[in-house]
Amino acid sequence: MSALTSPSTGETLTWSDDDFEPDGRYLLDNSRLLGPIMLMPAVIYIIGLVGVPFALAIAYAFSDVTVGDQSIDWVGLRNFRDVWGNDTFQRALRNSFMFAIVSQVIVIILANMLAMVLSANFHGKRIVRFLVLLPWTTPIALAVIGWLWTLDNVYSPIDAALRELGLLGPGTMFGPGKNMLWLAKPDLAQLSVLTVHVWRTLPLATVILLAGLAAIPQDVKDAADVDGASFWRQFFYIRVPLLIPIMTVAILYGIVFTFTDMTVVYILTRGGPIDNTQVLASWAFFTGVEASNLAHGAAIALFLFPLLVVVALIMLRVAKRAETV
Amino acid sequence: MYDRFLHKPISRRGMMKSTGAALALGLSPAAAMRIEAMAQEASPSADIAGTSLKILQWSHFVPAYDVWFDAFAQAWGEANDVDVTVDHINTADIPATIAAELSAGEGHDLVEHISSLAQYETSMLDMSDIVAESTNRHGEQLAMTAANTFNPTTGKFYAYCHGYAPDPGNYRKSLWENAGIPDGPNTWAELLEGGASIRSEQGVQLGIGMSNEIDSRMAAQTLLWAYGGSIQDENENVVINSPENVEAVAYMAELFRSSMTEEVFSWNAASNNQLMIAGQASYILNSISAYRTVQDVQPEVADDIFFKTPLEGPAGPDFAKAHGHAVMMYQIPNYSPNTDTAREFLLYLQDNYGEAIVQSKYYNFSAYPSNLPELLEDGGLLDNDEFGSNPPDKLSTLKSANEWTTNLGWPGPANAAMGEIFNLPIIPNMMARAATGLQTPEEAVAQAEEEVTEIFDRWRSEGLIGGGS
Repeated sequence: MSALTSPSTGETLTWSDDDFEPDGRYLLDNSRLLGPIMLMPAVIYIIGLVGVPFALAIAYAFSDVTVGDQSIDWVGLRNFRDVWGNDTFQRALRNSFMFAIVSQVIVIILANMLAMVLSANFHGKRIVRFLVLLPWTTPIALAVIGWLWTLDNVYSPIDAALRELGLLGPGTMFGPGKNMLWLAKPDLAQLSVLTVHVWRTLPLATVILLAGLAAIPQDVKDAADVDGASFWRQFFYIRVPLLIPIMTVAILYGIVFTFTDMTVVYILTRGGPIDNTQVLASWAFFTGVEASNLAHGAAIALFLFPLLVVVALIMLRVAKRAETV
Repeated sequence: MYDRFLHKPISRRGMMKSTGAALALGLSPAAAMRIEAMAQEASPSADIAGTSLKILQWSHFVPAYDVWFDAFAQAWGEANDVDVTVDHINTADIPATIAAELSAGEGHDLVEHISSLAQYETSMLDMSDIVAESTNRHGEQLAMTAANTFNPTTGKFYAYCHGYAPDPGNYRKSLWENAGIPDGPNTWAELLEGGASIRSEQGVQLGIGMSNEIDSRMAAQTLLWAYGGSIQDENENVVINSPENVEAVAYMAELFRSSMTEEVFSWNAASNNQLMIAGQASYILNSISAYRTVQDVQPEVADDIFFKTPLEGPAGPDFAKAHGHAVMMYQIPNYSPNTDTAREFLLYLQDNYGEAIVQSKYYNFSAYPSNLPELLEDGGLLDNDEFGSNPPDKLSTLKSANEWTTNLGWPGPANAAMGEIFNLPIIPNMMARAATGLQTPEEAVAQAEEEVTEIFDRWRSEGLIGGGS
């Protein structure tokens, strides 16, 4: 029982904890009921759109299911053996890691630079921020079609600019052809895919790092200035250590987006030239859906799972650490 | 000339309706009147009134055909009290869409693709009765279209092919005249000689794709056949690792080095068309659709494009064959509740296929040549192209298309294994690995054999293909 006396009237107000407990008249006043009800949509969503497809993928990967015949007959590890022995799969596996890791290394370097620039005060800052964020807001399929035209074998505006600058054509630095053939030469095609991944994941990483920079206490920066610490000292001894937790989040998001993406490769190169840009997601789609071998497609897709589990565990750990700080 | 389709007088109401439809859809009033006349003549043998029909099909490479087809289907629906819906999507997206609908167990009643999807057989209705009825009405079906839709192992027509588009060689006459071969190449040897000369002296490459797309796959098959090779034999056994195929792959490597650029490794289905229109290709393998497009936008370029029958290789004229560029076939999924309606519509389409050929500007050829015999006759439609070819007999080359066009997987049938292989980049990659020097022709063919054999073995264990003994 608690009590409070009014200083003006001297009246004493008393109450007990029971006054705030549910009295059973309204179901939603019951916290034991309210919690599960509020959680239910998220649980249904996760079970329906993640759990069921995942269980289905596992069932498919151990069966002989095809698009035409979806009866699930157990074949053990046969699909995994078939898939592993395929050269295209091996290349797709390597490419998936390469695109994810290299693109995120580039992204984190560029995002640090951009975040520092955008945290400074200058005229037109809002417009610059808007432009930096634009790739993130553009639907990925539309954006990649734009890149497809930009990198076109015949009509690429980049090639046109290089020709105007005297850098492309007979007797020039990138000559003698009239076009770079961005999507036709293996190294340039890989570079193109990497560029698009960097272009589309950079804005998110920049925004995350901007938030991290804003959270660094001003007195820490002031103390470093007073002590005469140089830019690089401040960067490596103050900013980077304080930004590492949030930088980890940016990197992990980037890896998940890049590792699981098939849109960029599907639209830009369809895995070519000669499978040089094939990734696990695109190869799973070509095999499982376009060629109708759902069992092999599922087996290929399941190779994404171990890496995604590791990333998820790291993210959970980072989140937990953030809660305890 | 269209009078042959007007068998029945049209009512005033029908005429008004037709004119309105013509204005709304962009069809000519005459075309709309013929549609109305055909719809009034339709006499379904089953009671389909009150049903619906949902059709999924590719966006035709000659857009005028889609405009006509939509009006044609709607008019038939209205005349027979059937609610008809037609959805067109990019041909490259058709297999994925069908896959999604089969997985969901619902979707369109009729699905159309431009190459054999034998791997869907188990989920599709047997269409033997429709083939039998069409044969009864129009005479024998082309052997090629039958082989593209019939599984001899199960005895089932898993699809119904109403027509196809020939896949001739397209060449720029001015370039080949300068190379001393004014009528274009007749053999693969001439293609190598002339292509190399045009590339080195006129700076223009030839364009045969080696990438993950349908034209590259068809071109590769044509080359293997010309050398006497193939992927499977007539009994559905894998025979890809043969001296003939190794020789064909070695030829492609030489052709690439002398006459092409790396751009052929990144092509999509439209790329060779674009290159020819841009004046940057001396020779491509394609249907007449690109030519029809150019006629509208760059007539002077169109005047310079001519056509050739498939090139002859070391195996001789009997093996100078081409895959049907678009082999148009409908399938009826098992889940469809409107199978009778779908059957009746297919029979109706075939009955009026002469008009379909005309509306496609001679892109479509019928699986039943009796639908429009004037097309292939001497002095007939192809000898005097009413759609503005210069000279008017430019398309005469296509008159023999029924003889040199063959099915996916020839000399065997278009089975499930070939269907899967045709949707993967296995064969173009085999060519490309040798062309780039990544592998020797022998190694490239051996790797393809491994991949192809795994697919054949798997489908054989499913009981859907023969061979293996």
